[in-house]
Amino acid sequence: MTTHGLKKRLASAAVYLFLAVMAFLSVFPFLWMVIGATNSTSDIIKGKMSFGEGLLVNAATFFSQVNAPLIFWNSAKITIIATVSTLLISSLAGYGFEIFSSRFREKLYSLMLLTLMIPFAALMIPLFMLMGKFGLINTHIAVVLPTVASAFIVFYFRQSTKAFPHELRDAARVDGLKEWQIFFLIYMPVMRSTYAAAFIIVFMTAWNNYLWPLIVLQSNDTKTITLVISSLGSAYYPDYGAVMIGTVLATIPTLFVFFAMQRQFVEGMLGSVK
Amino acid sequence: MSAISPRSTRPRFDVNGWLFVGPALALIATFMVFPVLHSLWMSFQTGLGMRLSFAGLKNINRLFNDPLFFTALTNTFIFFLVQVPVMLTLALVTAALLNNPDIRFRGVLRTAIFLPCVTSLVAYTVLFKSMFVANGLINTTLINLGIVDTGIPWMTDPFWCRTMIIIAITWRWTGYNMIFYLAAMQNIDRSVYEAARIDGVPTYARFAFLTVPMLKPVILFTTVTSTIGTLQLFDEVSTITGGGSAGGAAGPGNSALTLSLYIYNLTFKFAPNFGYAATVSYVIVFLVAILSFLQFYAARERKA
Amino acid sequence: MNRKTVALAFASASLIAITAAQAAEVTVWCWDPNFNVAIMKEAGEIYAKTHPDFKLNVVDFAKADLEQKLQTGLASGVADGMPDIVLIEDYGAQKYLQSFPDAFAPLSDKVDYSGFAPYKVALATLDDKVYSMPFDSGVTGFYYRKDLLSQAGFQPADLQDLTWDKFIEIAKVVEEKTGKKMMAYDPNDAGLTRIIMQSAGGWYFDKDGNLAIEGNAALKAALEVVQKIQTANIFRPAAGWADWVGAFTGGEVASVTTGVWITGTVKSQPEQSGNWGIAPIPKLTIDGATHYSNLGGSSWYVLAASPAKDEAIDFLNDIYGKDIDFYQKILVDRGAVGSLLAAREGAAYKSTDAFFGGEPIWQTFSDWLSKVPSVNYGTFTNEVDSVVAAHQPDLAKGASVDDVIKAIDEQAKTLVQ
Repeated sequence: MTTHGLKKRLASAAVYLFLAVMAFLSVFPFLWMVIGATNSTSDIIKGKMSFGEGLLVNAATFFSQVNAPLIFWNSAKITIIATVSTLLISSLAGYGFEIFSSRFREKLYSLMLLTLMIPFAALMIPLFMLMGKFGLINTHIAVVLPTVASAFIVFYFRQSTKAFPHELRDAARVDGLKEWQIFFLIYMPVMRSTYAAAFIIVFMTAWNNYLWPLIVLQSNDTKTITLVISSLGSAYYPDYGAVMIGTVLATIPTLFVFFAMQRQFVEGMLGSVK
Repeated sequence: MSAISPRSTRPRFDVNGWLFVGPALALIATFMVFPVLHSLWMSFQTGLGMRLSFAGLKNINRLFNDPLFFTALTNTFIFFLVQVPVMLTLALVTAALLNNPDIRFRGVLRTAIFLPCVTSLVAYTVLFKSMFVANGLINTTLINLGIVDTGIPWMTDPFWCRTMIIIAITWRWTGYNMIFYLAAMQNIDRSVYEAARIDGVPTYARFAFLTVPMLKPVILFTTVTSTIGTLQLFDEVSTITGGGSAGGAAGPGNSALTLSLYIYNLTFKFAPNFGYAATVSYVIVFLVAILSFLQFYAARERKA
Repeated sequence: MNRKTVALAFASASLIAITAAQAAEVTVWCWDPNFNVAIMKEAGEIYAKTHPDFKLNVVDFAKADLEQKLQTGLASGVADGMPDIVLIEDYGAQKYLQSFPDAFAPLSDKVDYSGFAPYKVALATLDDKVYSMPFDSGVTGFYYRKDLLSQAGFQPADLQDLTWDKFIEIAKVVEEKTGKKMMAYDPNDAGLTRIIMQSAGGWYFDKDGNLAIEGNAALKAALEVVQKIQTANIFRPAAGWADWVGAFTGGEVASVTTGVWITGTVKSQPEQSGNWGIAPIPKLTIDGATHYSNLGGSSWYVLAASPAKDEAIDFLNDIYGKDIDFYQKILVDRGAVGSLLAAREGAAYKSTDAFFGGEPIWQTFSDWLSKVPSVNYGTFTNEVDSVVAAHQPDLAKGASVDDVIKAIDEQAKTLVQ
């Protein structure tokens, strides 16, 4: 009994040690980023690991070079529109593919999945020409459009829908609910945790999206925060202090969304089990 | 076969079915399929910039005589074969440990481990570059701990350079995959575990014979997406090893040159050859298609 | 890309030109907020004093980002959203001019090129037309720490006419006496190889732009120097740009050999004031070897489809082509050495700098500028450069230079097509 207890305690110590190391390694860079925001460029390059006194100087440099309210508004607008429309359109499709069947279903589905395999570099030029034809260059709509129908998120919703209890749907049909009512009134609430996870992912991707906005946005007043940070970091002698301020500010919204959604996550799990 | 499948009891695709999948399919057709076909057409042309001419299969011929293409192909496979299994195993184990309701600080730990994937690329790059420089944090720490005598040549030795990239990608994406596993585990009925525990099934066996099989759809999902991500690996190799004023190698001896980075170079860094770049990108398409098929196939086999 | 689309794009662009003739807003793309972006804004303000209607819109992107946008825009033939003026790094000039014929406006009818450093004009010339407004120069210098070198027994006079062999000898003494490495070096970057090669009038291509790897004496000599530097272990390894900069700003190394645009960075450490000196870079011992070379540098180009093309050209010509005072201002404020030779007669160029012990460094650099050997950067500099960089570590491992050249030649041939 004592050896068993010891064994158990050792095992649980090992578990905690493993998780603690994982957590430390994951968080450490964020600490470094915050420390960096308070140091001068040369201290950052030297890898100084303590807080400095450069925070105000760095912030002043950042805000003098960047029209922060406009840039953050641009990022927020793009991200919110992209997230809401992606979740709606992709979950509709994920649900549709799993619930309805047809001769074409698997063929269409595979075809859609094939698009995941195309490296974006190969799409960029044709896509840009297309946006040019639509007259959408340098608009935020052009940034959002290609990301809305995400084969990846459709795939995720279809996989998750496999866990959606069919009895619920059958019962709803017996009660005379229409297909769209079943989706909005039953599926969506039941799949809360799935939506929460997808929300975090889509939000994060849209907020940090870089390559495509870079190509399609052309002027200073349409740029997003990611583009601005990248251009600050590209000087012959970049002011890393200001870059760090930018990255800290740019990370806050994604962190916020994660913390806010995390609760949903847990609640969703408790609710969906019953 | 479809007659005995439970799915045959589901409604056929009617107006409703099309309404559900229609918007997504229309958008994907316009913004993915059409450009992809356009790019396929481009892969049969060659020339610099706008001076393209029809080349037939010339680009494919060039592919087989291009040493840099083979370097990129080899590197991509090294990253894929090492990084994907390491990351997914780590993510699955972490998720399983965190899913135990007896663990204290679960919320904090889970949040901490997820954090890396919300960083922006710029922050993450500046960071890893500075941590891995010759006399940077990592080497100093390893020397102080007595693990190594002299600093590890992260940036000058091909093996260590690839190791560094793998560490970086794993750091960024392990928590991301872990979240998928956790979400799926939370959908598993707890009573099954309880029953197994009471029957005296040990922890590792519960993990191997209960958790893993029930997670199969999600494991398949993360494997496929990670495969796609790694075969298209671009951001990390481009920014961590990028540098020089003009060309510069992608890591020591081009050890971090991946297929996507090569496509990018052919399109944007070098004199632009869009036709050949499109050809190389179709190599990735074929690789991903084959590997995904194998993964789906393997997952199906086990079910039987 | 078919001709029809291009023609259409150009036609629609000229339509816009007619309607937009009134409002002369000129959009510029460039990349460094502290350097060319700030300088371009300054130029715009000066020009607006005499041209009240003129409005300049400077948009900055990261350099790689800008090249990507430009290449996507030009390739897709979508004139919409393209700038009127764009900054292009000199190594890529021919790549753009040859890949996108008719995309850039020739300026040779409007601009008097006789006043510019000849190598800057040559690199933007295609079929006897010149397409660029030359901007900053990357004329190279050997920046050294006077305090460390004198501690090792070398005075400024000893450093004026070095060969690379002598440089390596000095480096060994410096390390012995001061414990510091002579230089920082990133084996994955071929910048130093390019500097040494061009100092002897060589490049990866011959005068006609054909690949010239095997039998290229300047390249061979440059790779030999790079091999000696690596095997003699006189360098502090650097991983990427920031680490390389950190090595000399942090006082870890005794010298840096690079383009004049680094001056501002060197001077960013006020506590090192008075401790730095400059000398011509060491020389090779082959035919045609000089002490002068170039690294980087860039020039302005006007897009042919631009609706404000005429204003853009006029603006560039007035300020960058003639305004001597402007060049004094950007030299003092930003440390930018332009390539208009007449600018060196101005007051700022004659001033001395206490940071460099009161030497007239700008005068010195502009003298060297006029002597930089001109070479043909060709269309494929970036391609070959990436291959050369990938083979530099082999040299450290003791591979023979001839074998390395053979390997470079083989890989380069498949890329250059």
